[in-house]
Amino acid sequence: MSGRMGPHSLPLARIKKIMKKSGDDVKMISGEAPIVFSKACELFIQELTKRSWMVTMQGKRRTLHKEDVASAVIATDIFDFLVNLVSDESSNDNLAETPSEEMETFRS
Amino acid sequence: MEPMDIVGKSKEDASLPKATMTKIIKEMLPPDVRVARDAQDLLIECCVEFINLVSSESNEVCSKEDKRTIAPEHVLKALEVLGFGEYIEEVYAAYEQHKIETMDSLKGGKWSNGAEMTEEEAAAEQQRMFAEARARMNGGATAPPKQPDLNPSLES
Repeated sequence: MSGRMGPHSLPLARIKKIMKKSGDDVKMISGEAPIVFSKACELFIQELTKRSWMVTMQGKRRTLHKEDVASAVIATDIFDFLVNLVSDESSNDNLAETPSEEMETFRS
Repeated sequence: MEPMDIVGKSKEDASLPKATMTKIIKEMLPPDVRVARDAQDLLIECCVEFINLVSSESNEVCSKEDKRTIAPEHVLKALEVLGFGEYIEEVYAAYEQHKIETMDSLKGGKWSNGAEMTEEEAAAEQQRMFAEARARMNGGATAPPKQPDLNPSLES
């Protein structure tokens, strides 16, 4: 992981906007909360990218495709909340709508 | 580059800037690796969904503690609850770093001490700077300072 620790990369106002839309009764958000989110998002994207890339490498390819991201999501427990998002994208009706702990049957 | 790229899903009017996201993504990969456009878009959508998820959980953590404002501590707790405990250390470090950098702008320069100054020391520095500013003001005014609780050992 690159040790870049510059100014917060993701725009705080945009993050705050997304936070406000995340639910129907979101409480007030402290000015510092988006800062924490900014870093967390960075780490999240880094992890998802890394895992997707591992799938790409397994396929001996040099271009990271959408399907690699989907595979990475399916193979990682904590990314369960993304299963519907990636399955909608690849329009695969075989994937279950409800999240489940073990998704080994879907390994591509 | 489309910095205002909006992903048009039902609840999401706001998305994250593609340029910044692409930079973060590319930094994780070897230089010769390419990222398909649809993969980039999907990664961004996933990130937005991540914010939604953690926001909802933070909101709940905040409610359980009977607070009215979502604070960084609530977000950190939410990360732990959702299984992203590994991120907490780095996230907290970035948060602390930001607090120091914010103080730094008051002084207008870098701390000679490096990043090891505690919050108390930083607050003390702040007080000292305010005292100096007060002294400068008092030096210019004709009337003597009237506030009795001012530190009598001000330097002009």
